[in-house]
Amino acid sequence: MRIFAVLMDYEIEKYREELTNLECVDLVEHVVGMLIKSPRNLHYPITVTELLKRPSDEVERFAPLFSYYYTSKVTERNEFGDESQVERKFPTKFECETNGTILNWKINAETVISAPGIPIVEVDEPCRHEIQFGGMCATCGKNMDEVNYATSVRDSARAPINMTHGHTALTVSHTEASRVEEEAKRRLLSNRRLSLVVDLDQTIIHATVDPTVAEWQKDEDNPNHDAVKDVRAFQLVDDGPGGRGCWYYIKLRPGLEEFLKNISKLYELHIYTMGTRAYAQNIAKIVDPDRKIFGDRILSRDESGSLQVKTLHRLFPVDTKMVVIIDDRGDVWNWSHNLIKVTAYDFFVGIGDINSSFLPKRDPLPPMLKPPVIELAPGHDRNQKPEGDGGSSIQTKEPQTTETTVPGVETPVSALEQQLVSMGGGSDPIVLEQQTTQQEEKITAQVTDRPLLKLQKKLDEADEEAAAMENGNNADEPSQDSHKHRHNLLQDHDNELAHLETNLRHIHEKFFEEYEKSLASSHGGRVAELRGEKAAKKRPVDDLELVPDVKDIMPSMKCEVLKNVSIVFSGLIPLGTNIQYADIAIWARSFGAEVTQDITRRTTHVVASKQRKTAKVKQAARRPRIKIVSLDWLLECFQTWRRPEEVLYEIEVHPDEAGPQIALASSPLEELQDGVVLSSSEDEAAINDETTAAPTPLSVITGDVNEAEDLMPTSPIDEKALRGTQEEWDSMNAEIDEMLAESGSDDDGGESDSSIGSSTSSKSNKKRKRGTDSGNSSAAEDSDSSVKSSQGSRLQRRKKRALERVTSLTNVTIAEKSTGLPSPDTTGPEDPQGVEAGDGEGDDLEDDEDFEAEMMAEFERDDDESDAG
Amino acid sequence: MFFLHEMERTILIHPSFFGPRMRDYIDTQLLHDVEGKNAGSYFIICVMEGYHVSEGRVVPGSSHAEYTVHYRAVVWRPFKGEVVNGKLKQLDGIVTSVVETGFFVDVGPISAFVAKTMIPSDIKFDGNATPAQWTDNADQVIEKGTHIRLKVKGIRVELGSMFAIATIKEDYLGPLA
Repeated sequence: MRIFAVLMDYEIEKYREELTNLECVDLVEHVVGMLIKSPRNLHYPITVTELLKRPSDEVERFAPLFSYYYTSKVTERNEFGDESQVERKFPTKFECETNGTILNWKINAETVISAPGIPIVEVDEPCRHEIQFGGMCATCGKNMDEVNYATSVRDSARAPINMTHGHTALTVSHTEASRVEEEAKRRLLSNRRLSLVVDLDQTIIHATVDPTVAEWQKDEDNPNHDAVKDVRAFQLVDDGPGGRGCWYYIKLRPGLEEFLKNISKLYELHIYTMGTRAYAQNIAKIVDPDRKIFGDRILSRDESGSLQVKTLHRLFPVDTKMVVIIDDRGDVWNWSHNLIKVTAYDFFVGIGDINSSFLPKRDPLPPMLKPPVIELAPGHDRNQKPEGDGGSSIQTKEPQTTETTVPGVETPVSALEQQLVSMGGGSDPIVLEQQTTQQEEKITAQVTDRPLLKLQKKLDEADEEAAAMENGNNADEPSQDSHKHRHNLLQDHDNELAHLETNLRHIHEKFFEEYEKSLASSHGGRVAELRGEKAAKKRPVDDLELVPDVKDIMPSMKCEVLKNVSIVFSGLIPLGTNIQYADIAIWARSFGAEVTQDITRRTTHVVASKQRKTAKVKQAARRPRIKIVSLDWLLECFQTWRRPEEVLYEIEVHPDEAGPQIALASSPLEELQDGVVLSSSEDEAAINDETTAAPTPLSVITGDVNEAEDLMPTSPIDEKALRGTQEEWDSMNAEIDEMLAESGSDDDGGESDSSIGSSTSSKSNKKRKRGTDSGNSSAAEDSDSSVKSSQGSRLQRRKKRALERVTSLTNVTIAEKSTGLPSPDTTGPEDPQGVEAGDGEGDDLEDDEDFEAEMMAEFERDDDESDAG
Repeated sequence: MFFLHEMERTILIHPSFFGPRMRDYIDTQLLHDVEGKNAGSYFIICVMEGYHVSEGRVVPGSSHAEYTVHYRAVVWRPFKGEVVNGKLKQLDGIVTSVVETGFFVDVGPISAFVAKTMIPSDIKFDGNATPAQWTDNADQVIEKGTHIRLKVKGIRVELGSMFAIATIKEDYLGPLA
């Protein structure tokens, strides 16, 4: 018994020793031989009869390793010609597929191997072919594509990772890759640096092939001369259309030189572009003439392995903890957590990314973001915009904002398809060819069409027109004087890089702060651990394990920015798109914001376009708590990683446009309700919204006019908007129709209307009359709904409740305002605005219907809940 | 290794070139077609003067004339075990890029790779240097643009391109001063 115990102890001790030995070995190098597994092509089950080699024996290729037999049914014929099925054993030998030294057997004699994939033996090879170059092992020079009957794994499959920047012929194994990466990480850590993967097009530069740029560069009188004088150019011979050389004009993003100089102290920079190698190298030559910043770390589409997506694993196959990406497109990176999406640099207006033909189609949103031309060239827009809404837009903007229907249906589908294609590798040669031609066509078109020149001409024409109107004589001859009046198409004000630098600095700081923290704490732990012997050995591994992950650090920094913000987009994302997949929404979410389709009780911000006052904007305008901001606000957030003052970006909505303002904040009752019934207070507000939103009980706004004006100072636009051109109404009507059609299952918008209608019959009459005056169809709907209102007791009950709420609220507001008016009935008809607004009211009616439909749905839901409770 | 190799090539001439200067055209066409090209396992470096052009023959069914040219050319065929240190400037290896796993060398028309295991152990990779380099921290520095002498360890020919594995882990191999 005792002997047994001692033996056991001995065994355990030995086992421990073995373990520690193994660990030591692991630290030095992975000496794990090639594991030969049972191949597929044998007749299973097989029974091993004898092992022919012992551990530490040398084996040659094709040398027998063990003998085994398998059984099979065969048809045999005896001497009389009778056939019979007999089971026979067939003894045979298993041959080694490689030469080397046997390390250890995983099987014994008598083992039955029943399936392929079972480990048989480990063989230590003289060369594990970990680095392969052009189909040869870089260490032993053996051809890696050789296959023989004993081969189970192709040699070339043993080094599948391609991790070098400029070459596709060099591949390494997983072990080698992680070894290399580990070394690189140690080096970076010792220098306190991180890796930064930089995109070229529209991130740090903007390129075009439009030869107009060269002309402008030469022509000092050209208004764009200032902007383009530092544009750099190079010629690519093989790349241009028709094989002849094509000049590329490169504009560096303002502040690039400084940015690269500073950032390269903190980061090791890599270029990762979808341009060709020659293109990338030429750009690198421009941005980094001494090759000090990027060195040879350039990865282009020739080596990237995919024309549609970029992946960090191409460069960092094992671990991306210390990598930050900057790119102007999130989709190609699949919105990796390492990514900092920057605003696209769009210097050459209307050119876009010349290397993006292979990429999934970009969301149409970004081009309209920066409207540099707008501010400087107001009034004479390049396209005939219907409404004089104060703002004008770039050409690209137009189709997206107004024709929401057509692209709205197409974009999401195609974007999704493209995404799928890109997921699938997109190796379809036909598609690829198409894209190649597309790319070529695009380039050719740019060279011949000269979009820049055209744009500038239009701009000039507009200028000249304006000048002609002013002076009346110098329209034809552009004298020196008129040059001064010419507006320049190209604007050179972009400060993205400055912000980017700050952000990158912060990330760097935070990263190493955390690294040192964890290092310090582990040191403390190590002191305790030092009593154990193994601590010292394990140190280097621990060090790398302590490295914090950029993927954790960056999102947590970003999420702070728009924390507790709930955004609704309006007029920016085409209808019919799933907003959750829209670029801008994903981008916003990465900053911690919540994005919703409709305005809910949690909504804090409505991001809208300046040009159009959509229903959502109007809806939001009635709630003082919701801030209505332009897209610039959001972009500023993205850029600076701080939440800027909303006031600067607020979109003004005139009270008349918005419909009556509710006195939510100022109403004591509301506060009371907030205190008492917290959960439903918002809904209460919603109901109030709904009821007061109807144009007639304007008593509320009389109670709150001052505040409304404070909030939304009147602007010249509002007057115009009030008068409203026919087109504007048309487009609005169209949109509302769409929305109504969309929310088909919703309650009829008219119903809620009628609830008020029935409560104050005189008002509803008046409203109806007004509706007819403005030639609006809402009148019909109104009467419809009043008919409907007579049916269904439940509905009536609800209405009654709503009515009660209305009266209480109005009473309170009035009391607060202390105008001395006794009841809402008297204030209602008295309201001056309601009468004045006249024409504008008709639109409001429509909007309100839409809005009320939504609110009614919400209301009903809530009602059900309360009924249940 | 360099060889003087006799070869033959058929050249088709478009009728628009028929005329007194036709011979010149054949000359330039030949040089353009073969010089510097990869002809399978060897490279044609230079076509020697004094080649022989056969009688022209108009190809039936087409108007082109066909000439067969016999010529001699200096060809270079890399062998396994060959030390690439040719006196010809273009056959010195020039390092094109340095990575952690080794470095790439252009030897004339072939791209060769020298792996980490083929580099003497005293020469180490230094990724902090710009550009990155392999160095023994003394006179031996291998970075982009370094001229280097190496020994071919393996050659593989693929359609139109040739890859080589090379080593500098032997005496007298390595960067040239």
